[in-house]
Amino acid sequence: MSHASVPACRVGSFNVTLGEVSKAATATERDARDLRWSRMMAAAQAGDARAYEALLRECLPLLRAICRARLRDATEAEDAVQDTLLTIHRARDSYNAARPFRPWLVAIAERRALDRVRSRGRRVRRQLPVDAAGEIASGEPAAEVELDARRAAANLRQAIEDLPPAQRTALRLTKIQDLTLADASQRSGMSVGALKVATHRALHALRRRFGTEE
Amino acid sequence: MHSEDLIHRLAADLRPVRPAPHPARATAVWLGIVAAVIGVAVLVFGLRDDLAERLAGGFDLPQIIAALATGVLAAFAAFQIALPERSRNWALLPLPAAAAWFATMGWGCLQDMARLGPEALQIGMSVPCLVFIAGLGVPLTVAMLWLARHATWLRASPVAALGGLSAAALASVGLSFIHYLDAAAMVLAWHGLSVLVVTVLAGVLGPRLMRSGHPVG
Repeated sequence: MSHASVPACRVGSFNVTLGEVSKAATATERDARDLRWSRMMAAAQAGDARAYEALLRECLPLLRAICRARLRDATEAEDAVQDTLLTIHRARDSYNAARPFRPWLVAIAERRALDRVRSRGRRVRRQLPVDAAGEIASGEPAAEVELDARRAAANLRQAIEDLPPAQRTALRLTKIQDLTLADASQRSGMSVGALKVATHRALHALRRRFGTEE
Repeated sequence: MHSEDLIHRLAADLRPVRPAPHPARATAVWLGIVAAVIGVAVLVFGLRDDLAERLAGGFDLPQIIAALATGVLAAFAAFQIALPERSRNWALLPLPAAAAWFATMGWGCLQDMARLGPEALQIGMSVPCLVFIAGLGVPLTVAMLWLARHATWLRASPVAALGGLSAAALASVGLSFIHYLDAAAMVLAWHGLSVLVVTVLAGVLGPRLMRSGHPVG
């Protein structure tokens, strides 16, 4: 690729020449990187795990940049990055090395980040001002109420972590991220029936753990 | 889990896959499958005796051409949007042809009405139409979902619905060669209903079918 030499020959101003050379060099680097990524993905499709791992690691900063541009919360953004990685893995046969790799990658990342934005929007709409309501009802000082809430949240998080993986995944997707069963099924690869059973078992286990089961 | 750990796990789980074909090539393969299936159906049921006469005049020829265009364009659109980086607007591609298809059938109804009066719009039962279009359309849709299985994790519903539309439209073309159904109102009602049923079924059940045939990882 000889982009770098072309602008230098055509422009008269030295400053502009430097700028254009720099731009051309960046474009050349990007082209070279995209070509390398295409080759690595083709190798990954053929089963080369080392090329695949190297490719995903190289793409990680780009995926993070895309997801962070959509999601302010760092944890949500990282979850979206992981959703993207899972989708890339499952849909890796949808890439053809005859086409550029970057648009394929960016499209998947954008899609998964938007899914997160949408599920977050649904969650926020359904949330009630629980802290304020608790404080009013009990008359306790705000700090104590908040401390209790934090403790309860930590206990709940731990209890969810202790669930078997399938139940944890089902609970996170259907109850925490509030996805529809169809979306959760698509995201997890579990059937709708399996999701329902795993969610039911997870809730049962949590109720038993917190002694709220009748 | 850190994303870096996830990458390591995914790489450890890697299996070779066959890359998705170009949409034009996938459409050509699909049309080959459809031609073979409809060819067998024609061999089994036989061409209608008056086919040449029907194609020479009336609304049959434009109707068949519009249905064929709908089937081909819907398939091409399905294979386009099955690729993540392609615009969703590709899904609109078959709509003009589908509109023209229904318009030709509607025009046929008006012509029949001018010729025969209001009786031309009486709609009787034609279960064979539904059975033929659904009977060919559903297995053809399954073939389409298999060809477009790389869309399972991204745009399964629109791909499946377009696949269903393509399969049903092409089955309708096949039916026009075989079945004696002359009244435009009947064609509009029964072909239209059958195409709608297959398209909706494909859009609703297709994604589930695709997931069951496309293992995770």
